[in-house]
Amino acid sequence: MKLIIDETRCKGCNLCTTVCPYSIFTEGKKLNERGIVVPVLDRPQRCTNCRLRNLYNRQLCGVCQLICPDQAISWVEETEGLTEKVVIEY
Amino acid sequence: MSSKIKDWLRQDRLPHIYCTGCGNGTVINCTLSAVTQMGWEIDDTVFVSGIGCSSRASGYISTDSLHTTHGRALAFATGVKMAKPELNVVVFTGDGDLSAIGGNHFIHACRRNIDMTVICINNMIYGMTGGQGSPCTPEGKYSTTTPYGAHEPAFDLAELAAAAGANYSARWTAYHVKQLSDAIKTGLEKPGLSFIESITQCPTSYGRRNKLRTASDMLEYMRTNALLLSKKRRMEEIGEEIPAERFTVGEFVNRNKPAMGVPK
Ligand SMILES: Cc1ncc(C[n+]2csc(CCOP(=O)(O)OP(=O)(O)O)c2C)c(N)n1
Ligand code: SF4
Ligand code: SF4
Ligand code: SF4
Repeated sequence: MKLIIDETRCKGCNLCTTVCPYSIFTEGKKLNERGIVVPVLDRPQRCTNCRLRNLYNRQLCGVCQLICPDQAISWVEETEGLTEKVVIEY
Repeated sequence: MSSKIKDWLRQDRLPHIYCTGCGNGTVINCTLSAVTQMGWEIDDTVFVSGIGCSSRASGYISTDSLHTTHGRALAFATGVKMAKPELNVVVFTGDGDLSAIGGNHFIHACRRNIDMTVICINNMIYGMTGGQGSPCTPEGKYSTTTPYGAHEPAFDLAELAAAAGANYSARWTAYHVKQLSDAIKTGLEKPGLSFIESITQCPTSYGRRNKLRTASDMLEYMRTNALLLSKKRRMEEIGEEIPAERFTVGEFVNRNKPAMGVPK
């Protein structure tokens, strides 16, 4: 699983940045084409939800998704051949 | 979005009209998270709302919905429930909608203990009409109609619902997303009137006038000032002073009085 922000929905409120216990979201710097500063994802593979979702088949933290007022946060299945390796830390 | 919640949202209507960082969207997420956990069907569920920013919520959900006149959401919802008790009825309302113009409907819906779940998004202000004070504006806070600070005491809606006869009453905030979702789920499960209040940030009309300019500032305000009901009671017992800024959160009442509109 991989965390994504839907840029067509995000309004740049940074609530996700405020609540994530792993600081996976950081405030962005650049305006996108809609004139919005979307947060940047800092190594989203560190997110417990991404790492452990398939393992335990349940949602673990998910606070960012619940708090996002614009329904912009979701997880997608990772495609094969992804270069970023997901390391499982305990 | 979890795929189940996605099915309950009208994807073609998103993004919604709410301002950047407005907590109304968060309360919609928490509500839909609870609704999907109930395993309800879209066709058997109706969302009803009055008028206001918060009341726009029903329009973003794919069930049948009623966007009614200001303050009358509970009256319409009562009609729906009486005509078709088998439907699941959920109401979205604002603090102004529910407690000012709709105040009497609120008290009597609680007294009758009608089987529905009422979710009040309390942003402490009239959001949609430009930030006038509402019956829930805390004392000393600024709004367009209280330029020197509100000096009337605010309504405690969760206590009011409990006193008026609702079977369930709880208050959380748009910061306490997990607790809020759980409270809504308890409310959905419970026969009779369930009232869930969510203190919610309105950075545009409330925050801007009260030194809480961003949504994150307002979230921080809710995080630091929310006081668990059980803790407040303990503090009162030992005579400890409770700072004026603090507001209570938690379950105010959870009982099983006879309810109206429960399918036989
Ligand atoms: C009978 C009537 N009176 C007044 C209005 C104007 N009006 C529209 S929304 C609103 C206030 C809404 O405030 P609230 O219920 O707190 O919701 P919020 O916008 O803050 O979410 C008012 C007074 C109206 N639409 N109908
Ligand atoms: S699910 Fe939790 S840990 Fe993962 S990104 Fe969201 S808030 Fe952070
Ligand atoms: S909470 Fe949602 S809308 Fe706000 S910045 Fe994060 S992704 Fe964007
Ligand atoms: S005015 Fe306030 S309540 Fe209305 S959409 Fe904007 S932030 Fe939300």
